[in-house]
Amino acid sequence: MPKITIADLEKIREDTKRTLNFRLGTCKAKITVHMGTCGIAAGARDILSSVMKEIEERKLMDVIVTNSGCAGLCSKEPMITVEMANEPAPVKYIDMTPAKIKKIFDSHILKNELVKEYALALGSEKTA
Amino acid sequence: MAYRTYLMVCAGTGCVANQSIKIKDTLIKELEKKGLQDEVAVVTTGCNGFCGVGPIMVVQPDGIFYQLLKSSDIPYLVEEHLIKGRPVKKFMYIPSEKEPPIPKMSDIDFFKKQVLIALRNRGLIDPEKIEEYIARGGYSGLAKALTEMTPDQVINEVKKSGLRGRGGGGFPTGIKWETMKKVPGDVRFVICNADEGDPGAFMDRSIIESDPHAVIEGMLIGAYGMGSTQGYVYIRNEYPIALERLLKAIAQAKEYGLLGENIFGTDFKFDIRIIRGAGAFVCGESTALMASIQGMPGEPRAKYVHTVEKGLFDFPTCLNNVETWANVPQIIQKGAEWFTQIGTGDVTNDPWGGSKGTKVFSLTGKVVNTGLVEVPMGITLREIIYDIGGGIKDGKKIKAVQTGGPSGGFIPESMLDLPVDFDELTKVGSMMGSGGMIIADEDNCIVDMAKYFLNFTQEESCGKCIPCREGTKRMYDILENISVGKGTEEDLELLEDLSYMVVESSLCALGGSAPNPVLTSLKYFKDEYLTHVREKKCPAKACRQLNVYTIDEEICATVGHGCDLCKKSCPDFAIFGETKKAHHIDQMKCHKCGACYDACNFKAIKVE
Amino acid sequence: MERSIRMVTVNIDGKKIEVAEDTTILKAAEAAGIWIPSMCYSDLLEPYGVCRLCSVEVIRGKRSRIVTACNYPVREGLTVNTNSDKVKWIRKILMELMYSRWPNVPVVKEMAERLEVTKPRFVSLERDESENACILCGNCVNICRDVVKASVLSFEGIGIERKVVLPFNEQSETCISCGACAYVCPTGHIKIKSLETERGALQDFYLGPKSAINIPTLQAVPRVPVIDKNSCIKMQTGGCGICSEFCEPGAINYEMKDEEVDIEVGQILVTTGFNLFDPQQIPQYGYGRLDNVYNSLDFEFMLNSTGPTGGTIQCKDGSEPRAVGIIHCVGSRDENYKKYCSRVCCMYALKFAHLVKDRTKAEVYQFYIDMRAFGKGYEEFYKRLLDEGVNMIRGKVAEITEESYNGNKPHLLVKCEDTLIGKFREIPVDMVILCPAIEPAQDAAKIKKILSISQSPDKFFLERHPKLDPISTMTDGIFIAGCAQGPKDIPDSVAQASAAAARILSLISLGEVSVDPIKANVIEEFCSGCRICNNLCPYTAISFLEDKKISDINEMLCKGCGTCVAACPASAITGKGFTDEQILAELEGLLTV
Repeated sequence: MPKITIADLEKIREDTKRTLNFRLGTCKAKITVHMGTCGIAAGARDILSSVMKEIEERKLMDVIVTNSGCAGLCSKEPMITVEMANEPAPVKYIDMTPAKIKKIFDSHILKNELVKEYALALGSEKTA
Repeated sequence: MAYRTYLMVCAGTGCVANQSIKIKDTLIKELEKKGLQDEVAVVTTGCNGFCGVGPIMVVQPDGIFYQLLKSSDIPYLVEEHLIKGRPVKKFMYIPSEKEPPIPKMSDIDFFKKQVLIALRNRGLIDPEKIEEYIARGGYSGLAKALTEMTPDQVINEVKKSGLRGRGGGGFPTGIKWETMKKVPGDVRFVICNADEGDPGAFMDRSIIESDPHAVIEGMLIGAYGMGSTQGYVYIRNEYPIALERLLKAIAQAKEYGLLGENIFGTDFKFDIRIIRGAGAFVCGESTALMASIQGMPGEPRAKYVHTVEKGLFDFPTCLNNVETWANVPQIIQKGAEWFTQIGTGDVTNDPWGGSKGTKVFSLTGKVVNTGLVEVPMGITLREIIYDIGGGIKDGKKIKAVQTGGPSGGFIPESMLDLPVDFDELTKVGSMMGSGGMIIADEDNCIVDMAKYFLNFTQEESCGKCIPCREGTKRMYDILENISVGKGTEEDLELLEDLSYMVVESSLCALGGSAPNPVLTSLKYFKDEYLTHVREKKCPAKACRQLNVYTIDEEICATVGHGCDLCKKSCPDFAIFGETKKAHHIDQMKCHKCGACYDACNFKAIKVE
Repeated sequence: MERSIRMVTVNIDGKKIEVAEDTTILKAAEAAGIWIPSMCYSDLLEPYGVCRLCSVEVIRGKRSRIVTACNYPVREGLTVNTNSDKVKWIRKILMELMYSRWPNVPVVKEMAERLEVTKPRFVSLERDESENACILCGNCVNICRDVVKASVLSFEGIGIERKVVLPFNEQSETCISCGACAYVCPTGHIKIKSLETERGALQDFYLGPKSAINIPTLQAVPRVPVIDKNSCIKMQTGGCGICSEFCEPGAINYEMKDEEVDIEVGQILVTTGFNLFDPQQIPQYGYGRLDNVYNSLDFEFMLNSTGPTGGTIQCKDGSEPRAVGIIHCVGSRDENYKKYCSRVCCMYALKFAHLVKDRTKAEVYQFYIDMRAFGKGYEEFYKRLLDEGVNMIRGKVAEITEESYNGNKPHLLVKCEDTLIGKFREIPVDMVILCPAIEPAQDAAKIKKILSISQSPDKFFLERHPKLDPISTMTDGIFIAGCAQGPKDIPDSVAQASAAAARILSLISLGEVSVDPIKANVIEEFCSGCRICNNLCPYTAISFLEDKKISDINEMLCKGCGTCVAACPASAITGKGFTDEQILAELEGLLTV
């Protein structure tokens, strides 16, 4: 392996950035896929995979994905929640399909434009 | 490959000892079983510091903190958290019985109050991957030093930062570097002292285990500043994991050209050799350490000529501790000004003027949360013990804090609001030391603790000079006499007299600081000593020879039903009584070993 | 880097003292006549600084500091207090610590008295230290490592368990028995067990232990000490060098080497002497194997008043021998070893017998083959010995063994056949003196080659004529004398050497030498330069002329032997006056009627 230069340092840093952002929890957007039994039954796993695929394809460095349990609205599953760092409240999308995910990435994640037609509501319910 | 979740499994010595490697293997197996291996990654990290609750795993990016894991818990945890997205409460940290569990690592008091410089990468990177260190800004301090700064500027920056030696003495690092720089000659060495020997202290081990490259980078920067081309790391062989990680880190750095010739295309060259120490406490002393590297017996010599002038193989040598080196890259990268914002005093004109930056302590003893903490200088002892440490175990009363290991002293409860920095601790007769912090509660006897430390130093004394070899042994003998009830008040006077003499006339700092536990305990807890010699009683009931053990016959008969456990445990056959009836102790035969007290499940044994 | 010595002024106990910079406080105080106590300091070593008794107070501004005087280098303006209350207090407790551990060591006791410590406040450690006078000053370890560079001794254990040991407590092979450790030991705990005290112990040919610097013999000329290269630490290991530090005139020179000097001479007298036959070649006599079996030179050394025993005749254990056996003809007159008679043994054996009789009460037995007392007054001496009661046993000794009866001290048993009474005898003695043969010097063959002289079959140098010319050799200008020519006693040697010297002088005073006219001659035209003749010439008279590429005969060296004439393949060499033509003409003349 040839000696590294200072420019190489920068490159390594770029390459590993996503991994580290993940570990530090610093990000632009956080997507939570609801994966209760109901969600899984409704195809949440496919949704999770397509979310991952989108991130991969678009080489997004600062979008993190996590999963959570049942949101209580089992009839509207699969659902995802999108939290943007610059937006005050998370947004819940319902009845997801891979195609819809693509759209959400195109507009909400990248352009900060809410996809109103898929959205359930703004904000999340308060926990006690 | 992008993962959605990272499982950061702690692989510090503490957690490895608690089977964290097995947990990692089970996790990988379990993830494969559930088909999650492409979504969830398992990363082994260095020590998180919260060793009291190991093995630890942190789930990122959520920041969920799991503690006290067992490999049998793993399938459940994977199923619940990773598939169903429900963090598992029963594995979370619970601050006290009345409070709910805290899921997030960042919300736990133990972590919340800490300020991380030396340990900033702990739990975040895999210490065996140089790329991850670089991704966290690693080696950019070196890049900055090599390309933008002259060696003098590097030294000046360190001097301005007010960084002081973290190994115990608190000598300003910048001044040491400057002196070394001025000594003429081409051959000069830098040494990293990783021969951590204080009982119960493991700061240096933890830094090397969690971030070995920080130490290497620090040494590189220092070597560039001082014009050295050869470095040594003196590490004790009892630290197998740290040693292995350091070896790997050096190999990686060499592969990347960060060690060797023409680093970053400049004509700066540097190499590091690892010397493994056999674990003698005295080899932590700089001159003894150098003697040991030279293949001689590890004995200190008089330092009237400093090691920066005549050190290893009689060449100028700069020795700094692991933590000191680990601080250097950050100082160069972020500037001295950033560093001086943390800490006490004013170091703009006088590097002795204050203590800047952070200090890593290993918090042990009777405190709820034991482990490794990095705190800003100037934090009070109370904050460390109560806010980070979570207070005293079992709601007992704190008696004293012992800082600085066998070289430090006891600080009584009344001084808990003392800000922790080099000078304040020295003023009260203790010292920063390398960062040991032992909390004693009312069950600890001060004579017993002083005896413990003296036993350590007199055993670890190299035996070269008379005050340390003969003096500490005599001090230990006197303490032993006191603890078995043979002490007199003259003994206390002699002990004090002898202690001061050993401080004054010992050859090296080991002897010079060995009496500190005795002197501070005599200063702050004289009454307890007097009780021992006048009344022949130990208030904490820790000196067993002074105790009188009796059996509460009522409890024994009614609660314990004469279970016979004490009778079986007594090595002197001093306990009599029929099974299912109350027992009693024959005081003439009792040798006060306390075995019955430990054996009784019903608290029927009374100690007076 | 050369640094000039800077003088600085220091203040010790109020006295202003000017000393060189970097002198230690201890040395500076010593120069000023101020006593600082010390137990571990030695001038020979780098200060080790372990006893701490030399602690003094150094005052800089308002701050004072305790340092050890033995290794603290002075700087300009240093103020030292060697006797402040604090210093006294430290010394007192240190002394209490030492005194309580080594209450029976005289040096410690003395120092304690001097520092007014009479009763230490510490009880003696449970371990019995009374026998152990090692105060762990480390001087022995340091001198062995730093000066001798042998590193035989080292510390073992840490803390109170520290002690000085040989590594792994095993006998060291690297110890050169120099005694430096004992020399620097302040308490005398290290003792050197000198073999000299084991009286009569002759370790080697000539002597037992000897220091590396010695005067070879009392009769040495010039009578100056020499360094024995094989036992000098400096020459063996590069360490030590202490003698040069102590020699005030600076007369020690380690660089001196053996020199080769070329001297041009006209004549050489060879007096290379003899070797004594090694009796170990006759194993049944037990020399080197049995105690108290000596050869004549060993015994001569024992008789010497400057010898190892001071002239007392005694056995190895120091006792006086009750009986002494003297064995003649060890190796000489023996078909297996030397066939010739060594000539001197009979007489010196008689001298030994006389001295043994004179100095001890021992019975003396002479085992001889023939008694050869042929010189002037020799026979009378033999007669006198018989009167003194020396037992003469005619017979060759078969064996010497060591025997011990009833657990008594072992003695030697000499077994031989007494040919006068025709009986086999076993004679118990305490000491046996062997009289070995005189044999040619070891390097006689080498000298023979260098000088082109000859050896007789017994390997002594061959004289030109045994009767008519016993002092010159076949080579002109080379003479022999003494035992180089053959065994002989001192009067004979003196006579022969005097004769040789006279012969040499007569040639010198003549100023010229006459040589025989019969020479060989090279005919230059025929010589092909093959050099065959060069090596054949027994007188090294033929050399090769590089420029002409022919061989040339030195007429002064040539004896006209004709070897080269016969050997020359080109018939280029002729004998002067003996050419083929001349001889043929002579033959013709003879045969002509």
